[in-house]
Amino acid sequence: MNFIKRGFLSIIRKKGKSLILLAVIFILGNLIAGAISIQQATGNVEKNIKEKLGAAATVELDYETLDSFSDEEWESVEIEDIDLNLIKQIGELSYLKYYDYSMATNLGSESIESYQGEEMDGDVVMMGPSMDFMLKGINYAPVIDFEEQKGKLIDGRVFTQEEIDNGTSVAIISKKLAEKNNLHVGDTFTLENQVYDYDDETGEEELIDSRDVVLEIIGLFEPQSVKKDQEEKTDDYMIDWMDIDYQNTVYVPNEIVASENKYYWEAYMKMDEEYAAMVEEEDESFEYYTPVFVLNNPEDIEAFEEEVNPLLPEYYTVISATDQYDSIAGPMESMSKLSKYILIVAVIATVLITGLVVLLFLRDRKRELGIYLSLGERRSHVVGQILSEIMVVALIGITLSVFSGSFLASQISDTMIKAGDKNTSYEEVIYYNELHTNLTTEDVLDSYEVNLNSSYILGFYGIGLLTILISTVIPLMYIVRLNPKKILM
Amino acid sequence: MILEAKDLNYYYQDGEQRRYILKDTSVSFEKGKFYTILGQSGSGKTTLLSLLSALDSPHSGTVLFKEEDIKKIGYERYRRNNVGIIFQSYNLIPTFTAVENVLVPMSITENEIPEDTKTVAYNLLDYIGIVKSKADRLVNKLSGGEQQRVAIARALATNVELILADEPTGNLDEEMEQEIIDIFKKLAHEHEKCVIVVTHSNEIALQSDQAFQLRKGVLSSYE
Repeated sequence: MNFIKRGFLSIIRKKGKSLILLAVIFILGNLIAGAISIQQATGNVEKNIKEKLGAAATVELDYETLDSFSDEEWESVEIEDIDLNLIKQIGELSYLKYYDYSMATNLGSESIESYQGEEMDGDVVMMGPSMDFMLKGINYAPVIDFEEQKGKLIDGRVFTQEEIDNGTSVAIISKKLAEKNNLHVGDTFTLENQVYDYDDETGEEELIDSRDVVLEIIGLFEPQSVKKDQEEKTDDYMIDWMDIDYQNTVYVPNEIVASENKYYWEAYMKMDEEYAAMVEEEDESFEYYTPVFVLNNPEDIEAFEEEVNPLLPEYYTVISATDQYDSIAGPMESMSKLSKYILIVAVIATVLITGLVVLLFLRDRKRELGIYLSLGERRSHVVGQILSEIMVVALIGITLSVFSGSFLASQISDTMIKAGDKNTSYEEVIYYNELHTNLTTEDVLDSYEVNLNSSYILGFYGIGLLTILISTVIPLMYIVRLNPKKILM
Repeated sequence: MILEAKDLNYYYQDGEQRRYILKDTSVSFEKGKFYTILGQSGSGKTTLLSLLSALDSPHSGTVLFKEEDIKKIGYERYRRNNVGIIFQSYNLIPTFTAVENVLVPMSITENEIPEDTKTVAYNLLDYIGIVKSKADRLVNKLSGGEQQRVAIARALATNVELILADEPTGNLDEEMEQEIIDIFKKLAHEHEKCVIVVTHSNEIALQSDQAFQLRKGVLSSYE
């Protein structure tokens, strides 16, 4: 009858005490299981949402800092442009999968109509000149938006490097825009670069110059929402406008945009001599590139930001797609924080309560332990016997709490989400940039799900058994210090 | 000579004074004999037994088992392999049956034990006077005399040559006391064990092969 068998016999023969210990471990186990379960679920939400948001980053003005400036501080602010060489230098970093930089401009058209959404089609009364078409310059021929599933090429092809380098007049437009104007791959369409003079006093505008931009369609794309159920949420105007903007985007080589920008500003300068003098003095190039860097791994975002921020001119910062998570994940973050505190408290409570219960039980068994020692049993074996008894009971208690803890966590977090839904006023998206998706706090909460998975089960068994093991340290020290003569004689 | 105590000193420190329980105590024991150590309460007889059984260590002096210092053997190892101890209050594990109590030291000792330990345990209990039906009972369902028999069987379970008993009949009636003493005599004379019993009973001392008396920490022969 070795010490492990003696342990099993003790569990069976002392049913009352074994059941008390089991109940204590089960109750505390539920707390730990619940907290781990919520931690895992919130962690999964963050991982999934960040995966959906993608591993893209850009460099732009740090509006938050600039907004905090007083009028006096603004006087000393001088903002430099982002240099193309700097974009290329950042583009060489090892974190990157690929990168692009683009110029954009808005053009109007008299020959084609812009897409205005499903419900609004035909009802829109256009006031003044319309500049609905956004010409988006491309330098990365396969188009990063398609590679990153913002859009999907459904007909035709993407650009060739030759077309990009030569600034060939080719374009990729949305399927809906093409359908609305009965356009197909291979057709050409015309946009107009119109230069208006605005009269500040009367508010009237006068067309002072314009030129046609003729583009050949080489491909059609369809937007790919990061949200599958977008169709169901037609009451969300923010989402509709984002969709409409994207449907009216026309992808062209960067050179085309650069040329149209140059034409526009030159025409404008002819009209406004004062402005022209200022431009000449400051040696303005009108080449404003917005870079997009796509990283191999979303987890590298922080390291990328740390490496890039020192290279940037003053008042610029790295903005990543995952930054959006912080603004929409408020309720999830607070639930994660709360569960973390519960976990810490539950572990400490388990260590103390289990430790005390075991110590009390051992005091009752002092004579038994003294007998083993008087028979020459090694102290390590006596410790092993007690440990095996506790661990067997703990294993049963923890196994029971795996299921009940997960169920409890699911119920509690449902209640918390519902309560949070009523009380939380979601932050508005203040700065819109092209990394922004249509994901909202609701989507974050919808993707929250407490479930039994292997990492939760393993995590709980690991933390649970380790906690019980720690709780036995004091009782085991008690055994090590036992003196059989004092107990038995 | 199986066991020898040489110049054992054991005391309690009382402020700056030492209160001696045992003072320069020397004694030796042989196999095949039944010894008693007689003494009043507080005479130091239990302390002497705790030193001989390695449940405690002397402040000075040595205990030799077959001429080897038990400190060198290792107290725990000595208790595991060389000595069987019987206590006045039996000290059996109450949640185990009689046979399970006998099986415990068998799993602890490093001595050679027949493979079928359970049969050996039943036979041992039967030899001591505990039949199988009683051997399968929880020990707290047995009488005092029966419990002490189980304790004797447990002491013999590891096949040791040395049996030490601390007031083994202290809780038993006269009839039962004699039965236990007969067992000790049988173990010494028929099985070549060295049995040392600590007692305050003159009747038991008179039945032993050699008796010692402890008075104020000094051991002498009992006439």
